[in-house]
Amino acid sequence: MNVVLDGLAPLLDLTVVFCLLAGLLVGTLVGTFPGVTGSMAVAIAAGFTLTLEPVQGLAVLLTIYVGANYGDRIPSILVNTPGTPAAIATTFDGYPLAKQGKAGLALVASSFVTTGGILVSMAVFLLAARPIAQFALKFGPAEMFALVVFGLTVMISISSRSLLKGVIAGIVGLAIATVGRDPVTGDARFVFGVNDLSSGLPFIAVIIGLFGIAELFDQLLTHHQHTVRPISSLGRWWPTRGEIKQMRAPFALGSVIGTFVGAVPAAGGDIAGLIGWDRAKRMSKKPEEFGKGSLEGLAAADTSSSATLGGSLTTTMALGIPGDSVMAVMIGSMVIWGLQPGPSLFSNSPDLVITIAAIMIVATLLSLAISLVRMRGMVRLLDLPVHYLWAGILVFCAVGTYTTTNSMYTVWVMLISGVVGLVMKRTGFPAGPVVLGLLLGPLAEANLRRALLIDGPASLVTQPIAAVLLGLALIGLVTPLIAKVRVARRRGTHSGGARDTASSGLGQ
Amino acid sequence: MNRRSTHLITAGAAVAATALALSACSGGQSEGGGDADYPSDDVTLIVQAAAGGGSDLTSRALSNELEPILDTSIVVENRPGASGSTAMQYVADQEPDGYTIGFVPVEIAMLGHQEFDVDPADYDFLGQLMLAPGVLVVPADSPYETLDGFIEGAKSEPVSVANSGAGGIWEAAALGLADATGAQITPVPFDGGAPTVAAAIGDQVDAAVAGSGEVSAAVAEGQVKALAIFHSERHPDLPDTPTAAEEGYDDLEFGGWGGIYAPAGLPDDVRSTLESAIEEAATSDGFVDTITASGALAVYKSSDEFADFVSAEYDRFGPILGNG
Repeated sequence: MNVVLDGLAPLLDLTVVFCLLAGLLVGTLVGTFPGVTGSMAVAIAAGFTLTLEPVQGLAVLLTIYVGANYGDRIPSILVNTPGTPAAIATTFDGYPLAKQGKAGLALVASSFVTTGGILVSMAVFLLAARPIAQFALKFGPAEMFALVVFGLTVMISISSRSLLKGVIAGIVGLAIATVGRDPVTGDARFVFGVNDLSSGLPFIAVIIGLFGIAELFDQLLTHHQHTVRPISSLGRWWPTRGEIKQMRAPFALGSVIGTFVGAVPAAGGDIAGLIGWDRAKRMSKKPEEFGKGSLEGLAAADTSSSATLGGSLTTTMALGIPGDSVMAVMIGSMVIWGLQPGPSLFSNSPDLVITIAAIMIVATLLSLAISLVRMRGMVRLLDLPVHYLWAGILVFCAVGTYTTTNSMYTVWVMLISGVVGLVMKRTGFPAGPVVLGLLLGPLAEANLRRALLIDGPASLVTQPIAAVLLGLALIGLVTPLIAKVRVARRRGTHSGGARDTASSGLGQ
Repeated sequence: MNRRSTHLITAGAAVAATALALSACSGGQSEGGGDADYPSDDVTLIVQAAAGGGSDLTSRALSNELEPILDTSIVVENRPGASGSTAMQYVADQEPDGYTIGFVPVEIAMLGHQEFDVDPADYDFLGQLMLAPGVLVVPADSPYETLDGFIEGAKSEPVSVANSGAGGIWEAAALGLADATGAQITPVPFDGGAPTVAAAIGDQVDAAVAGSGEVSAAVAEGQVKALAIFHSERHPDLPDTPTAAEEGYDDLEFGGWGGIYAPAGLPDDVRSTLESAIEEAATSDGFVDTITASGALAVYKSSDEFADFVSAEYDRFGPILGNG
């Protein structure tokens, strides 16, 4: 009990409260700003917090981490632009919901499931950090490869409209992921003498382009057909009892997936959100609504991407191995403060563990409060004349993307991706699989080749975790295909509907 | 004018305004006045890695000390990408007026051997700041207890040695170790120092080479065993880890070092102002404490010593990286 009190006491300090609020403000702002990620903000803030006391510094950095995880949902839902990669899957159902005039409901639901996801994963952090971290340690190259392959099967579900176009888009994503230096030999591939290309296409610029900028270009070209939605049509804010009940199963599923994926080093909210969304779709009674404005889909995506926070904190603090890129920066700062995350942290300074957990939980609850308070103002943005709104978004995206490298190169990549995204949208190719290929391709390749270097091909089937995940991936690949074939047979030769160009978050 | 074109113009204007604002941000600091009153404007310090890494930390710690000495603002600007060559080429292209300087990592001596357009001759080297010596670690339950045992074992059976990335300094260290001893080493590149050490902790590889700061905590926790440090003397954070020379392998020194450089051709007075300011900052208590806490060694070398060192490293890496 004393440990708990010792751990909580620092939070009563006024300077710590001030640091919490400052971090929260920065976090929600950077999350909302497309292109500026939580890890960038934490990294830059870390330069300033080094001079603070450890608890104050942790308060700033951890609340930025949490706050960004709320902020990034807002542009995903309102304008189809993921604020950070962790909110990619949020766009799948969040934006269609907003288009149906349910932006308020989507934002409220998203805030609550995000809060729930973080709290569940923090409970796991407090109760089971060590066993989970030991499990995460088993994830070597073979296991990571298997996990990523499992993640790639998500491609099937996000191509629900036309499997063929989805798979083509996915292969294009995997193909452009090979641009850059070979991860093992270091040889240049498809670089064509352009030096910037040797580190591959900048991922954040591509997702902002394919999702946000493509949508923007599309609106610019078709705006005369749109009528500006009056704010009153945004409808209710709070989910009905039935909707809450509907979100329960995807919430539970998302919490588990998110915590585990978060605990695996180098796998974060982006992958977790996609896997969570995919699994929920497969489990759902109404999978056909996923991607067209399903609250279940939104709940699954946001729960699992936010539950990674507690998961990666677990690996970071219990093993000293960063669970994601924010945690890598965090470890750097903690070491400078003389706090070494690792197995002995839990035995030597349990009070610090409690302090960290308390900061995370307080930050989560404050973020929820802030989200709910400012939500009306945020949604009112949609009330702006569309040309100001989209022009503003374009400026924000360009500046945000520029800051990732301080070079116009990434801005050009974003704009070109936007044009490509527009063409894909108009021809019915989904953007999701491209992003999935680009995100997971390099991880799959690098881990496969590491596994082959270390143990040869045998390790992929002899390592139990890897074998199970690859088996699951195979099942995930085959069952929807069989189902599709059955449906197609039942319908006879009429397998139409694939050319339906009605708008949806995925069919762009 | 119809509505549609109005909207397009609004958007077009927004793009133009953004482009203008951005080009203003990225514009040079070249209008910085004469040499006599240097520095009369902000100095930009280019970092080749993203915010949050070791290079960024060193640069920000140094700029904190440099600001009062030079009595100007130091703007740390991260230009990550292409193994650091993006930033290096950028620095080489700037005016040599002292308003653009940069953090220079060990890769400056390596990239030229790996088909990157990077040549140390394009820069003035102003001083070395730090050195993180390489350490060979093995999983806690590894059969190997000494460097010698490891090398003898690796002569009869190939071993996998994790490193932080293809073409990086720790892969070169593993290759250099193999070259010098005849051990059969398969370098396995990971994505950064932390995953490299994690692979050794998780017993997924036979060994790993990483910087002193990246391994010392795992060694102290007993998660890995450190067999040798590739440096001339033992490291204060790893007092029980012998040097390679102590274990009978001379001349096995590999380290991730960093310093400050500028585009070649600085005016003499600007150059000497910067050199003495960097010496004062790099040897200040605040800087030394930060570098030491991060697990690296605060090693200062004057500009001449540093320039000689860079060119010696450049010559040494040629054959190791298969370009000699």
